[in-house]
Amino acid sequence: MATTALTPAASAYRSGLYEWLTTTDHKKIGILYVVNSFIFFTLAGLLAMGVRSELAFPGLQFVHDEGVYNQLFTMHGTVMIFLFIIPILTGFGNYVVPLQIGAPDMAFPRINALSFWLLPLAGILMFSGFVTGGAAAAGWTSYSPLAQDRPLGMQGSGEDLWIVGLTLIGTASILGAVNFLVTIFKMRAPGMTLFRMPILVWTVLVTSVLNLMATPVLTSALIMLFIDRNYGGHFFDPATGGNAILWQNVFWFYSHPAVYIMVLPAMGMISEILPVFSRKPLFGYKAFVFATAGIGALGFSVWAHHMFTTGAVYLPFFSLMTFLIAVPTGVKMFNWIFTLWRGKLTLSTPLLFALGFLSMFLIGGIDGAFSAAVPIDFALQDTYWIVAHLHYVLFGGSVFGVFAGVYYWFPKMTGRMLSEGLGKLQFVLMFVGFNLTFFPMHVLGLSGMPRRIADYASTAGWNELNLAASIGGFIIAASFLPFLVNVAVSLRGGRIAGDDPWEGNTLEWATTSPPPPYNFDHLPEIRSERPLFDLRHGRTHAAAVLPDPSPAPQPSH
Amino acid sequence: MTSSTRTRPSNGAIVALLLLVLVVILLAVAVARGANLVKVAGDVVGSMFPPPAATAEAAEIRSLYDVVFVIAAAIFLLVEGLIIWSVVRYRRKPGDDVLPPQIHGNNVAEIAWTVIPTIIVAFLFYISWQTLNSVDAVSKTPDIYIRAVAGQFQWSFVYLADDGQTQEFTQFLPSGEAGGMVVPVGRKVQLSLESPDVIHAFYVPRFLFKRDVVPGQVNRFDFTLDPSEAGQTFRGQCAELCGIGHRTMTFDVHALTQADYDAWLKKQIEAAKATPSPGASAAPPAATLNLTAQNIKFSTATLDAPADKPFAIAFDNQDAGVTHDVAIQDSTGALIFNGTDVKGPGKATDNVQPLKAGTYTFICTFHPVQMTGQLTVK
Repeated sequence: MATTALTPAASAYRSGLYEWLTTTDHKKIGILYVVNSFIFFTLAGLLAMGVRSELAFPGLQFVHDEGVYNQLFTMHGTVMIFLFIIPILTGFGNYVVPLQIGAPDMAFPRINALSFWLLPLAGILMFSGFVTGGAAAAGWTSYSPLAQDRPLGMQGSGEDLWIVGLTLIGTASILGAVNFLVTIFKMRAPGMTLFRMPILVWTVLVTSVLNLMATPVLTSALIMLFIDRNYGGHFFDPATGGNAILWQNVFWFYSHPAVYIMVLPAMGMISEILPVFSRKPLFGYKAFVFATAGIGALGFSVWAHHMFTTGAVYLPFFSLMTFLIAVPTGVKMFNWIFTLWRGKLTLSTPLLFALGFLSMFLIGGIDGAFSAAVPIDFALQDTYWIVAHLHYVLFGGSVFGVFAGVYYWFPKMTGRMLSEGLGKLQFVLMFVGFNLTFFPMHVLGLSGMPRRIADYASTAGWNELNLAASIGGFIIAASFLPFLVNVAVSLRGGRIAGDDPWEGNTLEWATTSPPPPYNFDHLPEIRSERPLFDLRHGRTHAAAVLPDPSPAPQPSH
Repeated sequence: MTSSTRTRPSNGAIVALLLLVLVVILLAVAVARGANLVKVAGDVVGSMFPPPAATAEAAEIRSLYDVVFVIAAAIFLLVEGLIIWSVVRYRRKPGDDVLPPQIHGNNVAEIAWTVIPTIIVAFLFYISWQTLNSVDAVSKTPDIYIRAVAGQFQWSFVYLADDGQTQEFTQFLPSGEAGGMVVPVGRKVQLSLESPDVIHAFYVPRFLFKRDVVPGQVNRFDFTLDPSEAGQTFRGQCAELCGIGHRTMTFDVHALTQADYDAWLKKQIEAAKATPSPGASAAPPAATLNLTAQNIKFSTATLDAPADKPFAIAFDNQDAGVTHDVAIQDSTGALIFNGTDVKGPGKATDNVQPLKAGTYTFICTFHPVQMTGQLTVK
């Protein structure tokens, strides 16, 4: 196998910047992913501030050209999904997965570096549309024929830059997925059987399978759209014999599984955090693993629920599958709650954000039952209700999960603790701002406000709720400030974390903070999914986990 | 945990208590200022439901919504309650190093919370499927056929004869008193949706319904307005992002009684017949006006034509893939001439009947907002 982990001696010769630019260490690449993702999070958040500023009051105040408004929300959605949520979860996977399975690095360190460096390049390409005559403006879904190169469509290079950027990100995802799969299947430490893997590793495994199966479909669709626009491909343009619905099918065949790509690792992260802070094992470990695999499998059979109003899909099938996917999600929710149940909870910042995930993702999930009922979806589709639903899943779920992970693993990554006070301030601001922004959008959508409009009539009855949503949006933005201060202050003067500040369960807490380039001097025995808990408390408490430990498959190295 | 084991309240408990006190004070102030809390609570709950159903189909969707809402609210309260209860009840006290019971799971519980939700979602799927079969049914014999054409960025409504094919007249103005889609209450209307350019969506909030308008395919759906809605106007809007003018694609639906509708339709058809079709004039044109369309704009904002003589308009559409035409409105806004639809790039020359001296407006009926100018006849 590849043994490319840098020795300490080798890295000592290099300057800091050169080291970061050329590193193949999974931990450094993981941190690069996280930092890069937060840069794009800031940019996409500013775009959202533009959207909320314009919508705060009826009339056009800030964005006088509605073409620019269309660029704002198109780039907001695209960047949040493809350059923030997906990469930051990949970044945590990169940092944590090799540590949790007791490996020295990812299986293919150079490919790992390549998949990261494609991302800033793709982001720069997409944003450069703003200075070449206008960025992409057809929505993050880029429906054809609107996305075609023609008057009143997407003339100009912005859309082409968007396509090229997304293609690069797709390529990075595919490479990353292969890397994770090989790492997880081939590089686990002795004793780390599949059913002793931490849940985060399981969710990254399932996510990688989704990425590997779905992303090539998106990438080929993007290439076809590029050919349509530049070489007369006629794939998706009915005016020249193409099919507009075909784009939607291939786009959502990726982009619905992408929802699980964005949520499953966040679920994995809070599944690490809840047991640690309630001092109990995860309730129903195996049920949780099966539910994760179930969501991954069902996730491929529900894409057309984004297309219920097209008049071009078989509605009952996709309705049934969409309802069914609620079942494994519900199993997870109950397992999390019964992990807390009768535990001894410490309300530290990571747990607060994890609880935020539970209670907000719950709303996003219950929303899903409304839009799975096709006739109700006829009323809700493409209104602000959908905007509310997707943000309860992706912000209430994924982003709260991401911050739970940031507060949980920051001590491991840097050796310093983040401030609890600033962390709790951030949580309260974000929780209040989030609900003030997105809950009213349910009501706006029910009363008929379509998404993707720059303005609305002052007589439509939407003034107060839009103002509330905009105020909430700015509170969310404000909640980011204590976080930045917290990181800046804690990096220099934060409390020294030590190896295991949280009394963790998994192997990353068995090494130093931050870990050495080769990760471990020695590994504890792995006899359950909580090797560090066993080390700390002995095996008596964990005896019931796996009564028949079959001989562990030995990794090939 | 009992309260007697607590030596002092935690910081969290103090914050929670302060928040509670704040809420109570706010409520007290609101009541003192004359707010009716019961009404406010009712309004908040009411805002989580769709607007009143205007059609028979919308009423069915509303019934389904109510069932889903009750089940969803019950599940939300149960699960959110469990989360809050766990957080409030099971806290680690400072200095407590005894591990809680290490429970790894319970197969009976796992089966229960797999099977019960499966039954619930199977039930929800069944009732929504039943509703779908009803509201999505397309009749072979509707009472009225209308074709809605959604182009960037304008709706028009083509009234069809009972064969569902023959065009009787077209309503070009999408909204306002003189425009919009006019339909009788209590009759089954079949709407077919067509787009010449990109995807749009026909959406009327009080129909609790939308359907995409997809180029290259014809979507159909039926609706029957409730008889109590006669005289009402419903706001509609394009719901699928269709470009820079997406927001402006609004329209009105006017509900009339059957008698009023019949009278309205008769008048519209007669008016349409009175507008000569292009090329109807046999006399040679006295003048030819050149007009070009490019980038969704006319080449000029003013045209001059001779009075009381037939003239011709030579129209050149240079917008590839976009359809334009030239139409003339008199000072009342009535359409007195409607030229050939030209898909770009393309040309057409239409003869216009003699016009009296005066000022007229020429427009492209597909882009009346962006493409308009003044025609002076003297």
